[in-house]
Amino acid sequence: MSAAPEELRAEGLSLGYPGRMVIRDLDLTLPPGRVTAILGPNGCGKSTLLRACARLIAPLAGRVTLGGADLRRIDSRALARRLGILPQQPLAPEGITVADLVARGRAPWRGLLAGWSARDAEAVDRALAAVAMAGLRDRPVAELSGGQRQRVWIALALAQETDMVLLDEPTTWLDLPHQIEVLRLLQRLNRERGTTVISVLHDLNLAARHSDHLVLLGPEGLVAEGPPAAVLTEPALQRAFGLAARVLPDPVSATPMVVPL
Amino acid sequence: MRWGALILALAALAALGLTMGEVRLGLPDLWQGLWGGDGPGALTVRILRAPRMLVALGAGACLGLAGTVFQTLMRNPLASPDLMGFTAGAALAVLAALAAGLTLPPPLLSAAGGLAAAVAVAALAHRRGEGLAPLRLVLVGLGLGFTCAAASAFLLQRLPGPEATEAQRWITGSLAARGWGHVAQVWLPGLALAALLAVQVRALTLLELGDDLASGLGLRAGRARLRLAATGVGLMAAAVAVAGPVAFVALMAGPLGSALTGARGAGARLAAAALAGALITLAADLAARNALPGVTLPLGLLTGLLGAPYLLWRLSREMERGEL
Amino acid sequence: MRAALALLAAAVLLALLVGPRPVGPGTAWAALTAPDLTDPAHVVLLTQRLPRLAAGLIAGAALGLAGVILRGLTRNPLAEPGILGVNAGAALAVVAGAMATGRGDGGLVVAMAFPGALAAMVAVFLIGGGLRGGAGPMRLALAGAVLNALLMSLVTGIVLLRAESLEVLRFWNTGSLSQAAGRPLGAMAAVVAAAVLGALAVAPALDNLALGEAMARGLGTRTARAKGVALALVAALAGAAVAVAGPIAFLGLMVPELARRLAGGGMRAQMGAALCLGPAILLAADVAGRVVLPPGEVKAGVMTALIGGPVFIWLARRIRPGALA
Repeated sequence: MSAAPEELRAEGLSLGYPGRMVIRDLDLTLPPGRVTAILGPNGCGKSTLLRACARLIAPLAGRVTLGGADLRRIDSRALARRLGILPQQPLAPEGITVADLVARGRAPWRGLLAGWSARDAEAVDRALAAVAMAGLRDRPVAELSGGQRQRVWIALALAQETDMVLLDEPTTWLDLPHQIEVLRLLQRLNRERGTTVISVLHDLNLAARHSDHLVLLGPEGLVAEGPPAAVLTEPALQRAFGLAARVLPDPVSATPMVVPL
Repeated sequence: MRWGALILALAALAALGLTMGEVRLGLPDLWQGLWGGDGPGALTVRILRAPRMLVALGAGACLGLAGTVFQTLMRNPLASPDLMGFTAGAALAVLAALAAGLTLPPPLLSAAGGLAAAVAVAALAHRRGEGLAPLRLVLVGLGLGFTCAAASAFLLQRLPGPEATEAQRWITGSLAARGWGHVAQVWLPGLALAALLAVQVRALTLLELGDDLASGLGLRAGRARLRLAATGVGLMAAAVAVAGPVAFVALMAGPLGSALTGARGAGARLAAAALAGALITLAADLAARNALPGVTLPLGLLTGLLGAPYLLWRLSREMERGEL
Repeated sequence: MRAALALLAAAVLLALLVGPRPVGPGTAWAALTAPDLTDPAHVVLLTQRLPRLAAGLIAGAALGLAGVILRGLTRNPLAEPGILGVNAGAALAVVAGAMATGRGDGGLVVAMAFPGALAAMVAVFLIGGGLRGGAGPMRLALAGAVLNALLMSLVTGIVLLRAESLEVLRFWNTGSLSQAAGRPLGAMAAVVAAAVLGALAVAPALDNLALGEAMARGLGTRTARAKGVALALVAALAGAAVAVAGPIAFLGLMVPELARRLAGGGMRAQMGAALCLGPAILLAADVAGRVVLPPGEVKAGVMTALIGGPVFIWLARRIRPGALA
C-alpha cells in the first residue's frame, strides 16, 4: 500500500452513446481514503459513472483522472494495481473453488511467465481472512450462499491489493443482514487498510449509515455531494427522485434517515 | 492419476491402430517396423500406419484445443468451431482453390477460409446494443455452415472425376492416404500455435470472469479475445487442412477431457481437451478402418455418429437445467 | 396470389423448355398434344422433362406446405422438414429398408418413407422441447440440425456398405429431380393431394393456435388434436417429397417466409401461396442446376441449399435473445 492515497476526479465528463447522453459535463472529486456511495434513481447513470471511473467505458467528452493523470494514459496493468473494480454481475467459472477464484485477483501482479509467488499466496490468505472465508477456501463457489459469494468477490478485489476499490451495486440481490454485513466489511477495510471504497448503492438509509461521503445523481445530473447529512435533504431528494420525503435523524446512528411521505 | 489413464488409453489406441488393419501385425513386427527393419510389415507401419496415426493425433489435438478455446471464450459448450461453421468455411476455401486450379499450401487456405467464416459469423450475429449473444452466434454459424457445405457440394461437381472422388472423401473428413508430409503439415503449425496458446492461458483465465472484471484486473479484454480467437481459428485450420472438416471432435473433446481428468483451470482443461481430441480421432479412425471388412469408412462419418448423440444428450441436459 | 401463380407458370415453362437440349415452345406443344415417338425432342420431353416436372410439382408443393404448417404450429421461422431431420428420417428408413429386404422398388419406398418421417418428427419434438410451448426457436433448430446430421451419417454409412451404389447414395444424401422417371409419382401425387385437403381443413385451428395455446382453447379449438393432425400431415408431406425427390432441404424455410409476405397472415391464404411457390422455387432450382455447369448437372437439393443457407442466417439474425433463452 502506498502512503499517499490518490484522488479520482471526473473533469467535464460526458458519458453514454452518441445520441443518448447519460451523464453530461460532470465535474466531481471522489475523496481518497474515504467510503463513498453513489446514489440516484434508476437510469441516472450511476453504474455508467462507476464504469467510466474504472475505464471500462470511454468518455464521450471530458476525462477521468487518477492522481492527476488521465486514466487513458495509464497502462492497463499499472491501473489494475492501483484500482480494483467489482462489476455488477461477475461470472464464476463452472466448478471453481473459493481460493482459486480469489487467486485470480493476483493477475496484475504476476509477470507473463512468473509462477505463483509466496507474496501472491499471502495476499490471497489475507483477503480470505478479511472477509472471514478462510475456512471455506476449498469449497466450490457454486455451493455458497448469496452473501458468502459476494464476500468471495470482494476478497478477489482485496487480493488485487489496490488502494482503491470500485463496486457496482455490491448489495443488490442480498437480504438485509447480508447487505449490512457487506457494508460493514467495506467500512472496516477502509478503517484498517485505508482503502478508498466507492460503490453504487440503492438503499439511501444504509448508504447514509455506512458511508463518509455521498454522491447523489438525478435525471439532470449531479444533485449534491458531501457528507450524508448535507446530501440527503428534502429538496435534494425531491430533485433527484421526485420523491416527497421527510428526513429524520436515525435513532441508532444519528445519520439522516429518509422516510417517504 | 486420471491423467495417466488418459495417456495410457491414448498409447494403447495408438499401438492398436498400428497393428490392426488389412494386414495384421504382431507387436514384434511393429517394433521392427518402427526402428527401421524391412519387410512388408515394416513398410506398412512406416509408410501407411505411422503417418496416419500421427496425423490423427495432431489433428485431433488441434481440434480439441480450438474447440475449448471457443467454448471458454463464449462461455457456451455449444460454441465450437464445427457447430459455428468455421470448419465448413475452411473446407470451402480449400475446395475453391482446388477448383480454381490454385496451388497454395492447404493450411494457409483453410486458415484463410476459417478466418473469413469466423469474421462473417461474428459480423452477422452482432446486433447493435445487444452485442454477441452466444446462442445467436451458434445459430448464425449453423446457417453459414449449411451455406458453405452447399457451396462445397456445388464446387465438387466442377472437379474432374478422380479429384472429385478424393475431394468427396476429404469433405466428410478423412485420413486416407496421409503421408509424412501431412504429419509435418499438421504438427508444425499445431505445435507453434499451441505454444502461442500456452502464453495466453492466463488471459483466458481472466476472461472467464467476464470482460469487466478481466479489464479491472489489467487485461485488455477485447484484444485478448481477438488474439485467442485467432489462435483458435489457426488450430482448427491446421487440423482441417490435413483431415477435412471432421465433425464434432472440437465439440466433444473439451467436455470429455475435463470429465476424464477432472481438470478445472483453463490450462489444464486445454491440455485435457488436446488429449481427448486425439483420443476421439484415433478411436474413430480405428473404427473407420476396421468396423467393416473391406470398406474404409470416412473418418467424419464415425465422429458424426459419435458426436451427434452426445450433442443431443447435451442439448436435452442444458434444457433441463433451463439454460437453453 | 396472382404473383405466385405467375411464378409457377413461368417455372413450369422453363422446366419443360430449358436444358442441355433446348426445346422450342412449338415442339413442346406438339409433343404434348400429338406425341411422335420417333422425334428425339418429343422423347426427351415426354420421358425426361415431364416426369421431372411432375416430381418437382409434387415435392415442391409438399415441402412448401409442410413448411407453412410447421412454422404456423411452432411459431418458429427455422422449423422446416429438412432442417428438423424429418426428410432425413424418411431417407434413412428407405435406405435401411432397401438394405434389409434387398428391394428398392416404389412399394418399399412408399412403405418406409412415411414411418421414417413420422419417427424423426416425434424424435425431434421430444428432444427439442416438445410442443408444450416455451420451446425456444434455438432448441428446436439445434436439435433438428443435429438429428439431421446423425441420420444423414447413418444414410451414408449404410449406403457405403454396398460399394456399387455411389449414385444411389447421392440421391438419398442430396435430393434431386434427376431420377424422377423411376419414382412412384402417381401414388405420391395422391398422398399430397389428400394432405392438401387435410391442411385446408386444419388451417382455422392453426390460425387460432397462432394466438397462443390458452387463447386457442378459449376460441374452442381442440388444440391437442389440431397439433397431432398437423404433425401427421407434415410427416406425410415430407415422406411423399422424399419418395419422389430425395431429401431436399430449405424449401420449407424459404416458402413460408415468401408466402407470408405475399398472402398475409391467414393460414389458408398462406397455404395456397405455398402450393404455388414451393414448386416454382424447386423447379427453378432444378432448371438452374441443369444449365449452370454444363455438361454436368448440379442437383436441385444443392441449389436450394445454396439459396437456403443465407435465408437461414437472415431468419436466425432476426430472432431476439429473449426468444433464445
